[in-house]
Amino acid sequence: MDFASFAKPTNSDANSPTTDDSKTEELHFWKHVEYIENHGKDQDDYEYCMTEFLRMSGIYWGVTALDIMNQLERLDRNSIIEFIKRCQCPTTGGFAPCEGHDPHILYTLSAVQILCIYDALEQIDCEAVVKYVMSLQQHDGSFFGDRWGEVDTRFSFCAVAILTLLKKDLATTIDVEKAVQFVMSCCNQTDGGFGSKPGAESHAGLIYCCVGFLSLTHRLHLLDVDKLGWWLCERQLPSGGLNGRPEKLPDVCYSWWVLASLTIMGRLHWISADKLKQFILSCQDNETGGFADRTGNLPDIFHTLFGIGALSLLGFEGLKAINATLCMPQYVMDRLEIKPQILERP
Amino acid sequence: MHGRLKVRTTEEERERKKKEQALKVKAYKAATTKISAKRQNQEYDDEMLAYTTPILQRNPDVSTLWNIRRECILAKVKKIKEEEVTPEKEAIQEEHILQVFETEMSLTEQCLLVNPKSYNIWHHRMWLLEQSPKANWQREVMLCNKYLKMDERNFHTWDYKRYVVEKAQVPKEEELDFCTEKIKVNFSNYSSWHHRSLLLPALYPYEGDAKPKRPMSEEKLKEELEMVLTAAFTDPYDSSAWFYQRWLLGYSQPELAACAFRCSKDKTVLSFTKLTTKEDLKVVLTGDGGKTLEITDFLTLNNQVSDTIFYSKNPVEDPSMYQNLEVSSKALTSITLPLSKYNDDAYYFHALEASTTYTPDVLDQLKSQLESCESLLEYEPDSKWCLLTSALLMRAIDCQEYHDKTMEYLKKLQKVDSLRENYYKDLASKWILQKALIQWSKTDGEHMLKSIDLSQEEQLTCLTDKQYLIVADEIILSKELTKRYEGGLKSFSNI
Ligand SMILES: [Zn+2]
Repeated sequence: MDFASFAKPTNSDANSPTTDDSKTEELHFWKHVEYIENHGKDQDDYEYCMTEFLRMSGIYWGVTALDIMNQLERLDRNSIIEFIKRCQCPTTGGFAPCEGHDPHILYTLSAVQILCIYDALEQIDCEAVVKYVMSLQQHDGSFFGDRWGEVDTRFSFCAVAILTLLKKDLATTIDVEKAVQFVMSCCNQTDGGFGSKPGAESHAGLIYCCVGFLSLTHRLHLLDVDKLGWWLCERQLPSGGLNGRPEKLPDVCYSWWVLASLTIMGRLHWISADKLKQFILSCQDNETGGFADRTGNLPDIFHTLFGIGALSLLGFEGLKAINATLCMPQYVMDRLEIKPQILERP
Repeated sequence: MHGRLKVRTTEEERERKKKEQALKVKAYKAATTKISAKRQNQEYDDEMLAYTTPILQRNPDVSTLWNIRRECILAKVKKIKEEEVTPEKEAIQEEHILQVFETEMSLTEQCLLVNPKSYNIWHHRMWLLEQSPKANWQREVMLCNKYLKMDERNFHTWDYKRYVVEKAQVPKEEELDFCTEKIKVNFSNYSSWHHRSLLLPALYPYEGDAKPKRPMSEEKLKEELEMVLTAAFTDPYDSSAWFYQRWLLGYSQPELAACAFRCSKDKTVLSFTKLTTKEDLKVVLTGDGGKTLEITDFLTLNNQVSDTIFYSKNPVEDPSMYQNLEVSSKALTSITLPLSKYNDDAYYFHALEASTTYTPDVLDQLKSQLESCESLLEYEPDSKWCLLTSALLMRAIDCQEYHDKTMEYLKKLQKVDSLRENYYKDLASKWILQKALIQWSKTDGEHMLKSIDLSQEEQLTCLTDKQYLIVADEIILSKELTKRYEGGLKSFSNI
């Protein structure tokens, strides 16, 4: 199955087979492309309106997924860049999820990621972004998400990811040593994993943030790879899907958090790639396109990126390579000459 | 975006829903327009609070609306404080301020009932408590207990609980009792086990000298081992207790230490038990009569920031005349290690001791646990957790004596838990290599470094701790392994 063998769909889907093919192992490539492309075309769509508060991330999910599928030109680069420019806060330098909302480090990362993919960083005030990130670091090394003081290891990841993508020297912008100390203070002795703050229970999503943080700060030697790797591979359930914590249900987004962490740690081989592929493909919506969190649920753009991204990490044919640390196309990393640390397989 | 089932609906239902949603969108847009207009004019008043309430009750993820509410609260408090008051009326003023916070606290509680997993609501509550002149921490502890009853795995509640019990100064003993109760109600509660794992090391610290340190005092460790196995046996398919059990048995990576060193006249290698950096690395050879030589310019063998193997190509005159090696780095306090001679070279080698010595009490407990696991295996020979735990217990008791049996169990695990086949293969390889290295270290010093032969180890499928092998002139591997590493594996002679 190579790229050329994908035929572009006709305008109408009316004659597509409606048989239940939930068991097939085929990627509904063009359905997903259309799903992402059409997302947001109807500005009055209920789902679309209700997710306005995370619009910037929504665009990042769509742009990245389409780029991994080599269909980036389906979206209008200029209008996206114009939108991003309008979202930069003139006072703080941070980005809001959309106009009328407040800036936050989460959406600042999404904005920077999209601009990197479009090779358009020069379109915004990068120095203001750096100042914004620097202003959010606290004395204990942690980062606020915005001026209202929520602390979370997700924000530590966002901070170093933004600075790395802007090609800033971490050592001269933030207190890296303290930032590392804070993240390590969230590491649990029981399972080697990480939570959102010191003492918090390990959770695959936050493990990804902390492992990604250590990958970007080149401190992976601080991990207990055998311990954490085991806990992560135990996330795989008989269905092939991965959950985020023990005794929880599988979910496509954890395919990304767990898989990317294992990849960074050189332990991708500790789970069954074939079974995971089957699970991810079973979460496709073969009518509308897009991926749901679980088989039989409604798809959304968030799970669509993480489904596609995980398939790319597993080396699925017809998809571009994705970088495990930053969840962005590898060619963009190469262009920017960004090399997050990863450990080798023993 | 989570847990929304896709249901087949009729055309009419779809139409009806569409109309309903269109109305909601219209209402939402109207409200946000009003909010934006008021915000532009800095009108942080009751009307603003009223506009944001219904949206947040339905969709608490809209962070900006919480920010607006915080602005409103700050404005209200400021206004109250600005009112001229006589000393007698100060109490009334404070009452007014508290009332502002109370009203907002009850809104967050209404929102939590609908959406107990929203980061925003929990954070807003924390913010209110931090701002309030009189926070009632005890009430918050009760709130957590209530929410943990509704969902004992909600990590937001657990995180919040840890935050408020510290503020309320709840004794750790009380928290431990709470945990025990929770576990008794339901063994399958990883969150409770986790909370427990934070309390025990603080309440019952380990004071012996085993390395890596045991998680808690051996008396308590024995009790915990007993308790967790009872839990695990109640439902052998539930993983929570087994994870806790493995933690109790101790499976942390080794502490950072220099484990192998070899210095010839034209090169030096130094290996560590685990990954580290060369930050402030200092390597000094010392000999009779105060003779010292510092070896500098170390590089990582993998060219990355961190590695287990470091080498230097600086020349060293007559290395075999030195008796000791002093190593220190940023991560490692200085240690002095005795050197041995091999031809004209000096070397040091220390294989990892796999077994740890427990007090007789704990050892007895481990042995009886092994017996229990073995008898469960008679009934359920394919029980994954039981197989793994048996293997771990055997290693904790005596890894040399039980080596073959643990290998047999890991082989079986590759079949019964095939999703993680490669994990068990790597684990088996690790244990095999550990054993082989101990044997190797016992060979006669005059020949030891000539070669290490691993070619007969059938279950050895990868080299998990290559750094120990680097001091050998030659590493002999099976055909498969030679192919697997395709010249990527370095020995001392080809550095
Ligand atoms: Zn999900």
